[in-house]
Amino acid sequence: MPASDLLLELGAEEIPASFVEPALADLARVIVERAKEARLTHGEVRTFGTPRRLAVLVRDVAARSEDVTKEVTGPSVKAAFDAAGKPTRAAEKFAESVGLSVDRLLRVKTPKGEYLAAKLEEKGRPAPELLPAVLHAAVHGINFKKSMRWGDVELSFARPLHWIVALFGEEVIPVVFGDVRSGRTTYGHRFLAPQPIELRRPADYVEALRAAHVIVDPVERRKLVHERVRAGAEKAGGRLLEDEALLDQVTYLVELPNPVVGSFDERHLDLPPEVLIQEMKSHQRYFSVVDEHGKLLPRFVAVSNTPVKDERVSLRGYERVLRARLSDGRFFFDEDRKHSLETRVPKLERVVFQQKLGTYAEKIERFRLLADFIARRSGKADILPILERAATLAKADLVTGMVGEFPELQGVMGREYAKASGEKPEVALAIFEHYLPRNAQDSLPTQDPGALIGIADRLDTIVGIFGIGKGPSAAADPFGLRRATLAIIHIVLHRGYRFSLVAAIDRALELLEPKLADQKRKANEPPVRDQVLEFFRGRLKVMWAEEHRPDVVEAVLSAGFDDLVAAHLRLKALSAIVGQADFAPLAVAFKRVVNIVEKQGRDIGAGAPDPGRFQDDAEKALFEAYTQAKGKVDALVKADDYAGALREITALKPAVDRFFDRVMVMAEDRALRENRVRLLMQIGGLFGRIADFSKIQAEV
Amino acid sequence: MYFQDLIFTLQQHWAKQGCILQQPYDLEVGAGTMHPATFLRALGPEPWNVAYVQPSRRPADGRFGENPNRLFQHHQFQVILKPAPKNVQALYLDSIKAIGIDPLEHDLRFVEDDWESPTLGAWGLGWEVWCDGMEITQFTYFQQCGGFECRPVSAELTYGLERICMYLQNKENVYDIEYTKGIRYGEIFHANEVEMSKYALQCSDAPMLFQLFDLYEKECKRLIDVQLPLPAYDYALKCSHTFNLLDARGAISVTERANFIKRVRDNARLCAEGYLAMRERLGYPLLKTKWTVGEQPEVLEGRPASDYWKTVSFQKREEGEEGARAGK
Repeated sequence: MPASDLLLELGAEEIPASFVEPALADLARVIVERAKEARLTHGEVRTFGTPRRLAVLVRDVAARSEDVTKEVTGPSVKAAFDAAGKPTRAAEKFAESVGLSVDRLLRVKTPKGEYLAAKLEEKGRPAPELLPAVLHAAVHGINFKKSMRWGDVELSFARPLHWIVALFGEEVIPVVFGDVRSGRTTYGHRFLAPQPIELRRPADYVEALRAAHVIVDPVERRKLVHERVRAGAEKAGGRLLEDEALLDQVTYLVELPNPVVGSFDERHLDLPPEVLIQEMKSHQRYFSVVDEHGKLLPRFVAVSNTPVKDERVSLRGYERVLRARLSDGRFFFDEDRKHSLETRVPKLERVVFQQKLGTYAEKIERFRLLADFIARRSGKADILPILERAATLAKADLVTGMVGEFPELQGVMGREYAKASGEKPEVALAIFEHYLPRNAQDSLPTQDPGALIGIADRLDTIVGIFGIGKGPSAAADPFGLRRATLAIIHIVLHRGYRFSLVAAIDRALELLEPKLADQKRKANEPPVRDQVLEFFRGRLKVMWAEEHRPDVVEAVLSAGFDDLVAAHLRLKALSAIVGQADFAPLAVAFKRVVNIVEKQGRDIGAGAPDPGRFQDDAEKALFEAYTQAKGKVDALVKADDYAGALREITALKPAVDRFFDRVMVMAEDRALRENRVRLLMQIGGLFGRIADFSKIQAEV
Repeated sequence: MYFQDLIFTLQQHWAKQGCILQQPYDLEVGAGTMHPATFLRALGPEPWNVAYVQPSRRPADGRFGENPNRLFQHHQFQVILKPAPKNVQALYLDSIKAIGIDPLEHDLRFVEDDWESPTLGAWGLGWEVWCDGMEITQFTYFQQCGGFECRPVSAELTYGLERICMYLQNKENVYDIEYTKGIRYGEIFHANEVEMSKYALQCSDAPMLFQLFDLYEKECKRLIDVQLPLPAYDYALKCSHTFNLLDARGAISVTERANFIKRVRDNARLCAEGYLAMRERLGYPLLKTKWTVGEQPEVLEGRPASDYWKTVSFQKREEGEEGARAGK
């Protein structure tokens, strides 16, 4: 029997734009999983979605599921036959259960002995019998971020569901969700094609809806939105200010994109461009238009869901709304500038950052001192006046009208208002830059004050949140601590700040002490400092594993990451040599050293080996080689030349090999044994400063 | 279309669908949702279909009559359809056509908007309806009210009358709206805006308002104890408005604010509980009617809503039970 296509379409009231893609992924995943369980083979799986529909089209679903043969094991042969060789009750019962006579049962050998078994053939079943369960699971298997009930229905969905199309070839597959039964009826564009559409077969889906003014394929629709909006921007005499996030959003706000070009009063162009772009984007979802130099033009492109009879009518609405928004924006901008940024600072005493961690005023005081500490440690004491001023003003824009209206503009408004208040340009820049990077694609701070305040502000948050026992779980990170930690790492590495992470965390804890003093701790909970360090370690691991071997990253992290810049340099140096052919034997030799030190070293106090106790040449030679290498390695490490240090260390390999060939570490004589272990501890200590070689996977 | 014609047209449209037309509630409220015809009637299994205008006071939005868009008091046209009919979006769009907005001439869109009222212990999901980029209606499916699950679910439509009318009449300033031939909105309401803003933002007597809040709250609780949830709800509304006045005056600190909101919400929850118990005692009389608006869904899964409420107890929780729950 030939295969047929399968279509599932769920028609709902307008689904929030950000819900569509995850829902489509859920639908496709469940269908593929369940089809596999049902042994239904199929071809390509495609998903389609608009604000009003979620659909999956599966090509060439087999008409029947595949036949399979399963082997079932029964009782052991020992238990199956009595002394006389006659089948026991157990054997007969098993035979009965598989529908065969005892003499037709197989015998299979297992590690536990010989067992009776039977081969059962399970015939495939027609797809229409299996598909209802597959589709039922899919329809009920969508996890929306937020969902709702409607009418009397006990189930919930993103918005009320209205129709289900479930077609296998030309046949309707019965599926029920709440008060909706499946059929072959779909609907086109809400206003342009409200009549029901009977679908004959799945393959007709995309074109039938196109004819009903709906572009169901999000990829095609996104392209169309982009092309049309770009053309609109050109028609307006400029070019489109590209905005991927807005494009994604608009794609799921319309079923058929119709761009409309509008304009606003030029006099608003003296508002900061970020304000204008944000006004257009976040409230209205309009695209901005710029000239060839990237300067904003007083134009926009809105995207309508309906190709209206007369564009000028709806344009009047778009422009009118924007006019009201921009005069609000202008009002805020003018009002906000009537007061200097400095006079806003006391208002932060009334803005709560986090209930237990106190107000923003308190937070600012903490991160100002912390930034100060990190700056001094990083040798940046010369910027302290700028840094302290910028830190004091860093959050003052939170209590301005504009940021109250557009939280996304925090930092931007701080910069603008700082300039307007006559602050130094470096201070204004630092206020803006302390928020950078705002997301994974964003740029990093270009100057020290903003960079250091950004580090301190984030570290205060991370330590504080861990301190009140609200550190992130695998699923939830409500305070964005992962992002904050990554941002700190990026800034530190990019700007090459050398300070002790532990010291900075301890300083943050000290500053947070009044807030954390009453915090109850669970008995088995590690200290906050360790939790934070572990969290940094986790981020570093993920981040560095993108470019380096995970075992090498682990080896470097195990040797410490208190100085993030040094850890990164060590990683690069080690990564460069692990790929080389002669590295594996080296690693094996060093791992052997580490293993012995780990096993034996615990009971032996630290201290240098006593050269007087060396018996073998190999011992003496290794010690001499070590002593020479140590001086050089110390100097190289101090100069951050980890590649050079590794070269010196690898040069020890022949001496190490000779030592292991000639010397028996585990000597009977205790003093002798300890002395040898001590020698190895010195060697281990030498390369242990670069990496923990025991973590590196290497075999010869 | 004059302002009052807009109201007539909407009233006629919804009356024709089978809604009763009620009058504004005669106490100060911040939104049509607080009218007992919404807040209380959305609770429990009984059907309820109503439309009314509600003057809504937002002390913090007072602008002394100087802002063309913001008002101390604006007017909402409120519709509650319970249970929400299957074709509620279509019924709504018909009402929009009735006031002269043709979906083929305008860009009409349902844009995601979740509604939550911390003071009412209520939330719902839905949209703001956009006409050419402008929000003209708040469209919400109530999920919870006074802390109780809504079964069945009501649809709430809240039309912002001033905003729609400004658009229909192409006015840039709310005070220029023609209320009826020869009379502008400003001529009726401007003095009210000036005085009410002055009162709320500058002249209110905060110590007295704090006192009133305490008295209203006490009275609300007392009335709950004697099983009079309807008058109790009046005092809950008075508390809510008094809180809004204090908030607009800047008399409530950040730390106190959350506590005041909780006190207002607790009143609302007690009234919801008392109302549900009262309707239960009365035997849910409206269930015996055949009053529905629009297309009703077939029930294929789940039980009818009236069954759900049979299993719910509205009696006051035992002392300490909440604490015990929190302890879990």
